[in-house]
Amino acid sequence: MAADHHTVDDGGESLPLPTTIASGAVAAAVLLPLVWLVRTALDVGLDDAIAISTRPATVQVFLNSAALVAVVTVASVLIGVPFAYLTVRTDLPFRRAVTVAVSLPLVIPSYVGAFAFVSAFGPQGAFQRLLAPLGVERLPDIYGFTGAALVITLYTYPYVFITTRAALKSLDTTLIDAARTLDHDRWEAFRRVTIPQIRPAVTAGSLLVALYTLSDFGTPAIMQFDAFTRVIYVEFTSFGRDVASLLSLQLVAVTLLILGLESHVRGNEPLHAGRQGGRTGGTIPLGPWKYVALAACLIVAGIALLVPLGILLTWLARGGAEVGSALAFRPEYALNSVGVSAGAALVATVVGLPVAYLAAGYRSRLADAFERATYVGYAVPGVVLGLALVYLGTSYARPLYQTVYLLVAAYVIRFLPQAVGSMRASFLRINPALPEAARTLGRSSFGAFRAVTLPLIAPGLFGGAALVFLTTMKELPATLLLRPSGFKTLVTHIWTATEAGYYGHAAVPALILLGVSGLSMLVILSQEGYDVK
Amino acid sequence: MRDSPSSRRRILRIGGAAGLASIAGCSGLLGGSETGDGGDGGDGGGDTVGQIGSGRSPFGERDLSGGTSMSEMPELSGELTLYSGRGEPLVGRLVSFIEDLYPDLTVRPRYNAAADLVNQIETEGENSPADVFFSVNAGSLGALKDRGRTADLPSEVLDAVPDQFHDPDGTWVGTSGRARTIPYNTNALSESDVPDDIFAFPETEAFRDAIGCAPSYSSFQAFVTAMRALNGEEETRQWLEGMLELGLDSNYADEFLVSQAVADGELRAGFANHYYIQRVLAGRPDAPISTAFTEGDAGAIFNVAGACVLDTASSPDFASNFVHHLLSAEAQDYFARETFEYPLVPGVDPIGRLPSIDELNPPEGLDLTQLSDLEGTVSLLRDVGML
Repeated sequence: MAADHHTVDDGGESLPLPTTIASGAVAAAVLLPLVWLVRTALDVGLDDAIAISTRPATVQVFLNSAALVAVVTVASVLIGVPFAYLTVRTDLPFRRAVTVAVSLPLVIPSYVGAFAFVSAFGPQGAFQRLLAPLGVERLPDIYGFTGAALVITLYTYPYVFITTRAALKSLDTTLIDAARTLDHDRWEAFRRVTIPQIRPAVTAGSLLVALYTLSDFGTPAIMQFDAFTRVIYVEFTSFGRDVASLLSLQLVAVTLLILGLESHVRGNEPLHAGRQGGRTGGTIPLGPWKYVALAACLIVAGIALLVPLGILLTWLARGGAEVGSALAFRPEYALNSVGVSAGAALVATVVGLPVAYLAAGYRSRLADAFERATYVGYAVPGVVLGLALVYLGTSYARPLYQTVYLLVAAYVIRFLPQAVGSMRASFLRINPALPEAARTLGRSSFGAFRAVTLPLIAPGLFGGAALVFLTTMKELPATLLLRPSGFKTLVTHIWTATEAGYYGHAAVPALILLGVSGLSMLVILSQEGYDVK
Repeated sequence: MRDSPSSRRRILRIGGAAGLASIAGCSGLLGGSETGDGGDGGDGGGDTVGQIGSGRSPFGERDLSGGTSMSEMPELSGELTLYSGRGEPLVGRLVSFIEDLYPDLTVRPRYNAAADLVNQIETEGENSPADVFFSVNAGSLGALKDRGRTADLPSEVLDAVPDQFHDPDGTWVGTSGRARTIPYNTNALSESDVPDDIFAFPETEAFRDAIGCAPSYSSFQAFVTAMRALNGEEETRQWLEGMLELGLDSNYADEFLVSQAVADGELRAGFANHYYIQRVLAGRPDAPISTAFTEGDAGAIFNVAGACVLDTASSPDFASNFVHHLLSAEAQDYFARETFEYPLVPGVDPIGRLPSIDELNPPEGLDLTQLSDLEGTVSLLRDVGML
């Protein structure tokens, strides 16, 4: 990848020209939908725009969203990082099984989780009915901030878990050994050696969590919590596209703020300092604590998985009798889901590669800007991005409109940062001396990349592709807007059934969705063996 | 049965008992008639399209009571893109039925929420592939009209329904009706506890801290819009504030969830369209939920689902003719039995124990097109703190 042509930007470091062009093109393509957003928002007019932006209700939902993002992100780190450490570095029993269980909540769409939690733990939900014989007449309210934060955390902490895990897998433990020989205790070694090495991965995961929280509509709506997305939704449903676009632009502004914050946190990370490409040493014995650790992992994963599973199985049991023609499940829905999701994963990995490479390898504002740009599509609600692509598609790409190609493009724009963040974190752990050595041994730059760099970043590559695949499987609003007429996926089928109140018919596709996503998770985790040696 | 037309046999087979027996969840609503394939008759059908609907409903054992049969309408041929804000489980069979009638007709239905489709059509602009928009409410149709995106419908289509059920300017036509209702929990309240005057609600202590609504939901917004049109801004504001003081829970995302909460006992009463109650009962036939009505006020508006032809339609005549088919005797009968809505074409009766249109007491003097004025409603709801 390192090329002979270089360009210089204000960061002072020279960038490889072809990679820079590729990376810039990707960034531009991803930002294209903003054109529509700005265009539509301009219809509001300046005075109204200011009035809308500063009215108390807007300020309140802004604060609500900010609080939700902060709490969910911190909670996800507190769950994701320890779990990753436990499953990679310690002698936790059943590590592989625990890894799978702890990752699996990611396959459940958060709106399904939210609905299940309300059904189960609502004041008079299934759980209360179970406890009714004991005299429990009403459970404490699950609605509001607590419920929204709980549900989003349970279904997004795996972002932090998976990215952190990838980093820990390729962590160079000789450094830790060195620190230990220098008389640092285990915590000190962790703090001074491990944390700096996994920090890019943790922040990458946290960023995904934070921006997902910001853009999630379903969970706050079901949990009756007034977040930014709900205000946008209200405007869209009362045909105020202009105001909705204006508020979406505010959301983009908040996104930029979060990105800036994250840049600040990761700002002084070392570039490749002292990395050897990794040697993963022995595991840390937990002693009797391993049972406590195991219990903690299983409780979190158990709650996140069993509540929706239980509700889905209840639906299945209730809905068995009715079979409507429009609602009969067809295997092609699953194939469609897998097809577009695999396509999105592949494309996102390919187009994300130059962006991640550049952002990881060069201390350059331009490279950083390209990488940050990929996050914008992720932070706007799916319906906003969907409408933007409706506009671009009908105006400039008519033959592509309502085809799977534009649909896959939407997924890539929306979920690209999941691939980029994961790959970037992997690139960061590679000592540039390694590919350089290969080049002095006569390899071409691409040859060196293929022989040395690619195997080293493989876990990040697979991790990123897996994330894109899983989230695409779950995506609903952009799918509804952009799919070809008559094209049905698992989630559109779930939507069709639940929207009409036929919950029984939602159970089968939902369980298949969980199954397929779960399987892909297994494949990914088994691929981790393709690892640095 | 054996000598039914093939298209009819197919409908019966795929739809089967599924149909709406399960939506109702209780046979009482079906008034003793059965949908589906268990019938013994078959004397009504012939072998040709022309004879479908000549008296016997293709959607179950019931005589078509009135209206114009599809066989008396001009044939449909070509490709039609239908943006449907009505769910596929509810109207999918009807669309397939029409498509199957004509060998050269292809319908490309696109299902999504009505508001999303309006936004989509607006965003697509003059490049929209949509020919017909089929909506769950008059508001969405009015929104497209306001934006100049509708084509005029011919008078034979408009005249199929009474004047109050189509746009006075002829840009859209209602296809079926839906009543505003008060779902209430039968363990907590009896029907007489629910006042028949919407303006008595804020003073009804039985509702204190136990009545809910979905203010971001289009049907609730249509109800508030109707109150603004009928009673003015100020009275509407006072009513909303009074309800909030009574402890109105305005946190629900949609009226299905409101109805669920009523059935769960989380709420004693709520605001919802009449069929949501039936859908709750579809999942839980023994749920303690029932339906109350107010009389002659905004709480009892009778909104319509309807259709319009878009200005971008490739052939407006073809598209209008398709809309006409939604007003056929067969389609009207379909709405009655399959979606529990009110047929709008005179002479086609609603099903079973639903009160007939005549028994309902919707407010007088309300033009349904006014229901598209959501902006004022949204800002009012925001002002009082419900949004």
